[in-house]
Amino acid sequence: MKNLQLLLVDDEERFLSTTKTLLDKRGIITHTASNGRKALRILEENRVDVVVLDVKMPDMDGIETLRLIKQRYPLVEVVMLTGHASVDSAVDGMRLGAFDYLMKPCDITDMIKKIQEAFIKKQVTEQKIQKLQVERIISHPMAVFDKEGKNGD
Amino acid sequence: MQQTVIDAKRNGAEQFSRIRRTILVRVLLLPFIILLIICGTLVHYLATNIYNHVRTELVIATEDHRRLIEQFFVERARDLQFIMAGTGLSEIAEAHRIETCLNHLRLKCEAFSDLGVFDDSGNHLAYAGPYDLAGKNYAETEWFKAVRQQSVYISDVFLGFRQTPHFIVAVQSHAGKAPWYLRATIDMRYFNSLVEDIRIGESGEAYLVNQKGILQTKTRSGSRLMTEDPDFGLYPKDKTHTTPFLAKGASGRRYFYTIGYLEPTGWRLVIRQKASDVFFPLIKAVIIASLLVLLGGALVVLIAFFLSTNVASRLTLAEVEKREMGSQLIMAGKLAEIGEMSAGMAHEINNPLQIMAMEFTMIKDVFDDFPEGRPIDETARRIIKDSIEQIGLQINRCRDITHGLLKFSRKSELHLQPLNMTSLIEDSIQMVAHQAQLESVSIRRHIDDRLPEVHSDGEQLRQVLVNLLNNALYAVREKDGGMIAVTVRADGKGVNIDVSDNGCGIKQEDLEKIFVPFFTTKPVGKGTGLGLSTCYGIIERLGGALSVRSEPGAGAVFTVSLPLSVNGEKHTRK
Repeated sequence: MKNLQLLLVDDEERFLSTTKTLLDKRGIITHTASNGRKALRILEENRVDVVVLDVKMPDMDGIETLRLIKQRYPLVEVVMLTGHASVDSAVDGMRLGAFDYLMKPCDITDMIKKIQEAFIKKQVTEQKIQKLQVERIISHPMAVFDKEGKNGD
Repeated sequence: MQQTVIDAKRNGAEQFSRIRRTILVRVLLLPFIILLIICGTLVHYLATNIYNHVRTELVIATEDHRRLIEQFFVERARDLQFIMAGTGLSEIAEAHRIETCLNHLRLKCEAFSDLGVFDDSGNHLAYAGPYDLAGKNYAETEWFKAVRQQSVYISDVFLGFRQTPHFIVAVQSHAGKAPWYLRATIDMRYFNSLVEDIRIGESGEAYLVNQKGILQTKTRSGSRLMTEDPDFGLYPKDKTHTTPFLAKGASGRRYFYTIGYLEPTGWRLVIRQKASDVFFPLIKAVIIASLLVLLGGALVVLIAFFLSTNVASRLTLAEVEKREMGSQLIMAGKLAEIGEMSAGMAHEINNPLQIMAMEFTMIKDVFDDFPEGRPIDETARRIIKDSIEQIGLQINRCRDITHGLLKFSRKSELHLQPLNMTSLIEDSIQMVAHQAQLESVSIRRHIDDRLPEVHSDGEQLRQVLVNLLNNALYAVREKDGGMIAVTVRADGKGVNIDVSDNGCGIKQEDLEKIFVPFFTTKPVGKGTGLGLSTCYGIIERLGGALSVRSEPGAGAVFTVSLPLSVNGEKHTRK
C-alpha cells in the first residue's frame, strides 16, 4: 500500500492517537483531526487519498463535513465511521458520495481493508481520468495548453 | 396497551353520561320553562275570569232577589193600606165584612192566612182566619208598639201558638181622628218559595237572617228555620253594598258569600256558594293543564332522551376514537423515544468500545513484536501500560453509562420523611455555590416564608435540584452577568420549585426530547444525556411533575411540582 495517505477524523483524542500509531506501523501515512474544521484544513495542506470520518461530532457533524469534502475534493474517498445502531446516518453518507461505512467498534484489519478498497477505487478513478485526458490530448493536442495550469496536483 | 384501552372505555362511559346529562338539561330546560309559563298564564287568566264571573253572578242574583223580597214586603203592606183606604173601622169590624176583606187579599196574594182589626188602644175588634183570636187586648205587645210608631211593621218569623212559621204585617190607618190598625199574617210556605228556590250552581243557596242572626228561612244545606245562623259573625255590617267575599263557614268549608240588606225588616239576604263549586272549572282547568304539562313534558323528555343519547354516543365515539388515537400516538412516541434512547446508548458505548478495540490491537502488536523468549523492553512496557490504563478508563466510562441508565430505570426504595423545603433548597444551592462563585454566577432565592412541610425523599430531591442547578450553571457559562433564580412557592396542593436561568436557552426541537435518556447537546464526554431523564423519573416517582419552558437566547425555567405527600407507590412506569 504505497503512498496511501489517510485522514482520520474523530472527536475521541485517544482513538486518534492509538489508531494513528497502528496505521503508521502498517504503512499507512495517517493524519488526524478532532473535528470537521481541522479535517478540512489538513485536506487543504496535504495530498489525502482516503478519509475515515466519524458521523457524530460536536460543532460540525460528519455529514456536513462529508458534504464539504466531496464538494471541494471529489476524488478523495470517504469511509464513514458510525457509532449509531441505526445505519440511517451511514445511508445518508453513502447518498452524499461516501465510499462505504464502518460500524463502531471495528477491528483494525476491517478498517484497513475498507481503506484499501477505497484507495483502489480512487486509483481506478484517477487512471480513468488520466486515460480520458490522454485521449483528449491525442485528438486535440492544443487542449494541453488550456488545462496546463489546472492539473497541478 | 390493554390497560389503556380499558381506561379509555371506562372514561368513555363516564364521558357519555356526562355529555348526555348536559344535553338533556339544555334540551329540557327551555321547553319546560316555556310550557310552565304558558300554562301558568292560562290558568291565571282563567282563575281571574272565573272569579270575576262568579262575583258578578252572585251580585246580580243577590240584588235581584233582594229587590224582589223588598217588593214583596212593600206590596203586602200596600195591600193592607188599600183595604184600609176603602173602609172605616166600624165598617170593617163587622164579621162578614172582614171575611170579605181577607178573601180579597187572598185573591191578590195567597200568602195571607188571616186578618185582624185593632183600635188605637190595642183591642182586637174583629178577626178573619182559621183561629178565633178576637177580643184580646194587644196594647202591650211589641208589634203593636212598633206599628204605632212606624205606621208599617213587619215582624220576624215566629211560630206562635199556631206552630207554623209565619210573620206579620201590620199597618196604621191615617183616615179619621182615631187611628186603627190592620194586622195580617203571612204564611211562610208562600214566602219561602221566593228565597229557597234560588239556586246557583251545584251548591249555591240563599237564606234570610234577621238582625239578631236568626234564620228566617231554612237553608238547602240543612240549617233549620228559627235557629241561629252560625256564620252570622262573618257578615259585614255595611247596609248599602252587596259585596261578595270569600270566607270559611262554620261547617269548615270555604264559601263565597254575598249579602243583601233588606230595608223594610233589617233582614239580610245571604246567597252563598261553596268555593270548591265556584272553582271547580278552575280546578278542572288546572288538572287539564297539569296533565298537558306532564304529557307534553313526558314527550319532550322522551324525545330529548333519545336525541341526547344519540348525540352523546356520537360525541363519545368521536372522543374515544380521538383518545385511542392519542394513546397510539403516545405509544408511537414512546417507541420513537426507545429508538432514540437505544441509538444514543449504542453511540455512547460504542465510542469507548472502539477505543478499547484499538488499544487491544496496540497491545497485540507489541506482543507480536516480542515473540516468546525475547524480553519486553522499556518502550514496549510503557506502551502496554498506557493502553491498559486507557482500557481501564474506557471501562469506567461504560460503567458510568450503564449505571446512569440503571438509576433511571431502577425502582430504588423511596425514603419518605417530612422535609423542611427551605433548608433542603439551601443545601442544594450550597453544593453548587462554589462552582457558581468561580464562574461569577449569582444565585438568587425567592422562597415563600410559610412553606408547608413536604413528605418526600430528601436525598433524591436534592439530587434533582443539584442536577437542575448544574444544568443552569452550564447554560450561563458563556454569559456575562449569568444569573440563576430559585423560586419556591406553595399552592394548595403542594410546592412548586422554579429553577430559572438567563442562559442560552433550549431550541424548540430539543425541548421535545430533553427528558429522553441519552439525549444531550453537550459534546462527547461532557454529558451522558441521563441527568434530566433521571430527574424526570425521580420526580414522577415522588408523585410530582417536572416541566420546562424556554426561549432560545433568553434562558430556561425548570419547574418541579411536588405534592405534599407521595400517594403510595402507584406511579409505576408504563
